[in-house]
Amino acid sequence: MTDTFVPSNTLARETTLDPVTFEVLKNAFATSVDLMSEQILRTCYSFVIYSRDFSSALCDATGNTVMQGSADIAVHVGTLHFQCKAVIEEFGDDIHPGDVFAINDPYRGGTHLNDVSFVRPIFSEGRIIAFAQNKGHWADIGGNVPGSFDVSATEHFSEGLRITPVRIWSKSAYLHDVAQLLVSNTRAPDQAMGDLHAQSEATAVCEREVLRLVERYGIDTVTLAMQETQDYVERTVRRRLTELPRGTWSTVDYLDLDPGAEEGLVPVEVTLTLDGKGMHYDLKGGPAVKAFLNSGYGSTFSAIYAGTKTFFPDVPLNSGFYAAVTADIGPEGTVVNAGWPLAVTGTVAGPYEKIMNGIFELWSGIMKDRAMACSFNLEYLLVGGHDARTEDKARFMWYDWMAGGWGGRISKDGSSATAPVFGVGLAVQPCEGQERLSPVITNMHQIGTDSGGPGRYRGGCGIEKGGTLTDAESTVMSYCCDRARSITWGIEGGLPSIPHGVWLNRGTENERFLGSIFSSVPVGPGDTFYRPSAGGGGYGDPLERTSEEVLEDVIDEYVSVERAAKDYGVVITPINPELDEYEIDSEATTAMREWIREHRREWMNADPADVARKYCGGEIDMLDVIRRHGVILDWGTGELFAKTTRQHREQMQRRSVAHWSA
Amino acid sequence: MGKVRVAVDVGGTFTDVCIFDEESKEMRVTKVPSTPYDPMIAVMNGVERGQINLSEVSLFSHGTTVATNALITRNFPPAALVTTRGFRDILEIRDGTKDDLWDAYKDVSPAYIRRRDRFEVTERTDYLGHSITRLDEEEARKLAELLKRRGVKTIAVCFLNSYANPANEIRMREIIEEVIPDATVSTSAEVLPEIFEYPRFNTTVSNAVLAPLVSGYVNRLADELRDGGYQGDLLLLHSGGGSMTPRLVEKFPVRLAASGIAAGAISAKHIAQQCGYENAVSLDMGGTSTDISLVAGGELRITQEWQVEYGHPIIFPSIEVLTIGAGGGSLAHIDIAGSLRNGPQSAGAEPGPACYDTGGEQPTNTDANVLLGRLGTSLAGGAMTLNRSLAEEAINRVIAKPLGMGLEEAAQAIISVANANMADAVRLVSIRRGYDPRDFALLAFGGAGALHGVDVARELGIPSVIVPPNPGVTSAMGCLLVDIQHDFAQMFTSLVDGTDEDAVEEAFVGLETEASARLRHEGVSDENAILQRKISMRYRGQWRSLQVPMGSGPGAMEQALHTFHEEYEREFSFRQDETPVEVYQLHLSAVGKIPKPSFRPAESLLQEPTEPIERRPVYFRDEGWLDTPVYERDELAAGTRFTGPAIISQFDSTTVVPPSTRAEIDEWLNIRIHFEEKN
Repeated sequence: MTDTFVPSNTLARETTLDPVTFEVLKNAFATSVDLMSEQILRTCYSFVIYSRDFSSALCDATGNTVMQGSADIAVHVGTLHFQCKAVIEEFGDDIHPGDVFAINDPYRGGTHLNDVSFVRPIFSEGRIIAFAQNKGHWADIGGNVPGSFDVSATEHFSEGLRITPVRIWSKSAYLHDVAQLLVSNTRAPDQAMGDLHAQSEATAVCEREVLRLVERYGIDTVTLAMQETQDYVERTVRRRLTELPRGTWSTVDYLDLDPGAEEGLVPVEVTLTLDGKGMHYDLKGGPAVKAFLNSGYGSTFSAIYAGTKTFFPDVPLNSGFYAAVTADIGPEGTVVNAGWPLAVTGTVAGPYEKIMNGIFELWSGIMKDRAMACSFNLEYLLVGGHDARTEDKARFMWYDWMAGGWGGRISKDGSSATAPVFGVGLAVQPCEGQERLSPVITNMHQIGTDSGGPGRYRGGCGIEKGGTLTDAESTVMSYCCDRARSITWGIEGGLPSIPHGVWLNRGTENERFLGSIFSSVPVGPGDTFYRPSAGGGGYGDPLERTSEEVLEDVIDEYVSVERAAKDYGVVITPINPELDEYEIDSEATTAMREWIREHRREWMNADPADVARKYCGGEIDMLDVIRRHGVILDWGTGELFAKTTRQHREQMQRRSVAHWSA
Repeated sequence: MGKVRVAVDVGGTFTDVCIFDEESKEMRVTKVPSTPYDPMIAVMNGVERGQINLSEVSLFSHGTTVATNALITRNFPPAALVTTRGFRDILEIRDGTKDDLWDAYKDVSPAYIRRRDRFEVTERTDYLGHSITRLDEEEARKLAELLKRRGVKTIAVCFLNSYANPANEIRMREIIEEVIPDATVSTSAEVLPEIFEYPRFNTTVSNAVLAPLVSGYVNRLADELRDGGYQGDLLLLHSGGGSMTPRLVEKFPVRLAASGIAAGAISAKHIAQQCGYENAVSLDMGGTSTDISLVAGGELRITQEWQVEYGHPIIFPSIEVLTIGAGGGSLAHIDIAGSLRNGPQSAGAEPGPACYDTGGEQPTNTDANVLLGRLGTSLAGGAMTLNRSLAEEAINRVIAKPLGMGLEEAAQAIISVANANMADAVRLVSIRRGYDPRDFALLAFGGAGALHGVDVARELGIPSVIVPPNPGVTSAMGCLLVDIQHDFAQMFTSLVDGTDEDAVEEAFVGLETEASARLRHEGVSDENAILQRKISMRYRGQWRSLQVPMGSGPGAMEQALHTFHEEYEREFSFRQDETPVEVYQLHLSAVGKIPKPSFRPAESLLQEPTEPIERRPVYFRDEGWLDTPVYERDELAAGTRFTGPAIISQFDSTTVVPPSTRAEIDEWLNIRIHFEEKN
């Protein structure tokens, strides 16, 4: 993996096609890819694909992406050309009309094993002119645990089936033996077989469209337009860069922990250099962790491209964009460049989101009108076992993810209850559908009061979801998330939101805080679980938010009366809450804000052990510990994490404290 | 005095009135400015302007954007949601997705009911409809009293799993009605008895927030018409392309959510039928946008989900209309990488296209059409003058110079890009569904449709273009052409192989009983009632289902299965005969036939056109400037035939007939344009 992804640095040409033909073909390429996506959405079997965890691309004859789907999931952005090139490398001249190839190899630019790509060459006049590709997340790809999210995996062997480039159709003949081998290594072979067909057929839609264009415009014009569409995007990005400041900016974000090491956050450092022509990233990650939360180079590049793209929202996605971005992701063996055979399936909750948010932070300083604080972390809860509601006690898989809050922005609050930055199209599932399929009853799915990070502009609110197991036998629960300790941060003086993490039997004698990653915890009928998704971090000093805005939040119970005082220094007296009648106590508010201003720096330096003691004694609560003192504990036992706290306070000094007025 | 039928279509700018004389079979049209603050004023103005004697009206039908506009502007009365404890935020959480995946500053618009107006009550039903926690009646009553104190007028009751058992919702409604007798209550199991809480809740909430306004409006209008002497039922066009009476609007106002948008599509279907086309694409192009709909096999495409803003779905069968940002006022520009773009930004009415001389400085499609002579400089019978040199200046400055093009070339490029964008949109609604546009006719209407229609058809390989007699008021005519129609659905999940066919029959009979009762309630006699069964199926393990017609009696299921495989293959180009098929939902459509106006064809005499009103140079892409005759549409009689190039001018529209095409005026006074066979 050295030079396959190093893009050219040459400045793109202007088009040689006439402007009308160019515009027509550029749009037609986009249509051909969107038609492919539309079909897969309507014919898929995996509920994960149905929830929009898929992508489509038209690649040129060398494997570079001409156009990626406009509604594709972010995490696949910038990985489809790697996978197409892997097929070309593997098969060379041995590619024929009517072939279809499969690949999911994360060591050849894939994301994780669940994401299976189907690649179809498009021939005209006896030569390859393009490739159509569809990548979708299969609900299961084998390995140790249902859903193939084995948190404790350290190598890919226990994660599931690794598919190096393999032919599934040969000259239009279906290779049922090969297909059978692939799907037989999953827990849901029928479903996988359905998706294998649906995805392969979807690529034929793109082929049909491209051949229509060839018939109309001729092979030379169409292939030239494929190149010029990439040049066009590269030129757009490079020209915008000329209008931006030049310089180098750095930040660091953290994973919660390495399960194989002592407590302490695992750093992901991101440096961005703008020289007026291109953008260059340098990434440095801590040593690969003893869990599946590492990132292969495919996902790391995807995070870089997707993070950057957020600041160029209107630019089409293709290899022209990737050409304007270069990156050095360091040697193999780190969380951002894992290398074979390290486990990487959990990258999506681990380094992926850290790189994205780090990039958001850097660009927030450059394009200030698009600034945004940190957003909640992608999270997946898996409850798997046997469903005793039916006689055959069939296997069930309650596989759930939540929306959450995005970061506060320079001119408005963060977006509440929104899909993760990992994929804004990733739809949360309806509880009524889940209850039919699994012996789990959801008892709440609501917005979490006080979950948004306080700020001049509040972070968006997160969600709380909880459930009870009913007729579940031999059932275990696993969780893939992060940010129980590296808590979703604010910027420009804004405060953090809340920690992620799962609670078992909360509020009972058997209460346990299970944290943000755990694997195969046994659970049974009557057990209840609860988990919040974080809100977004706050933007700007919360003491500068107007009392009226805080009051509106209190009326809607996005913010409690108690935290309005503690986080914002706004003292609100409930008069008749049932009728939305509250009063702002202006005098008390002025006094409270003054008092907070006076003391908040010293609170951030309070002895962590003392803070932990007060938490255990019930004198202060979790949000006091986090927002006032910047201390990180085991939220269940109250145990102090000393090193983690030092790291966390250091970043909070930089992102929050340094921006507070005296 | 003969009886007349009247159809009124309220649009954003104009309210159009069609008056059809049942005796003479002639149709008159009139147009009055819309009155958004109270649309009824424009309706009654139209009645007056059209010199309609209401006591002579046999049928008054109406398409309205009142509901659509209320949803867009959030002009709602005090409303509340009552829901299961723990699920207060379903409306706000939605499915969490955003329309714009990349712009972190573009948010989904807020829920129709704010969090402070969403209330919880203790109750819970499981997925089979069994009660887990019964409704806490004391709590429910306290809540109803609180709602009363809060002055709430309309309430949505949405409980989890109520589609499986509505008992708790019904009881909650009774309690609210006892405490607040004048409240309007919408329960989710009645509005939409389907699984999936978020779309069901949102549809129910939409119904609740629209109820007072929409049924208020409809009832006021019905009263006003009755006072004026109209003795029939006011018929309201609903989103699904049927109509309903005020009695049902009161219960299901949400059915009018896309009323105004549906009218144009219905006209398209009618015109296609009249001209003998089974398949047609309609291009309704206005000033800022173009509505595209599809008639396939004589039927309009129906979507099961409709939304006016992303994130707020209304789950009712609605005519599928794709709206794109391409209209006469769409702005042409060059982007940062030097590429020519067209729309979706529009000059709108303010500042308007450059040639309007009202302050607009950016070139639009209208400017390009004027520059090329396709559009004359005098519009609307001389009421409006266009300034060609301002159009030239704008195109030269913004497009021609930067791209190093000639003026005509630049103007042609603007139009070509606009046409390509529209052609792409047509591909999305046709090819995406497995239809080949080459089997279709293109219907061009709206103010600008006929200027671009032939070129768009050429781009798509569509062989024929039809321009109806009054392109600017085509939508209103749609309201004249509808039956009463209601749609019912019931969940029914089971593998086809092993389905209890008696249970299916029983379920359909249940739906039919309900449907017949509803039609009777609307005054439809039994001989005019038509009930049609449909069934949704999917391959086992799939998420989306496909709806196919369903018969009755033995063998019906097998036939439906056969149709499913065929339809699936048509839509997706593959089928899986080996895979078990699952039934998902049963549907019933209930139609109350209303006698249609029978139009009288004109006598068609093969003839040359009358003298052109002028000749002017017009620029065409392949031929350049050609001396081109301009005909006045009203003077072109049925049977007139001629070949392009020609321009046909009329009060509300201009039709371009390019070279290598021939035009004829048919017996319905449509202009039909065909491409010359290539040799």
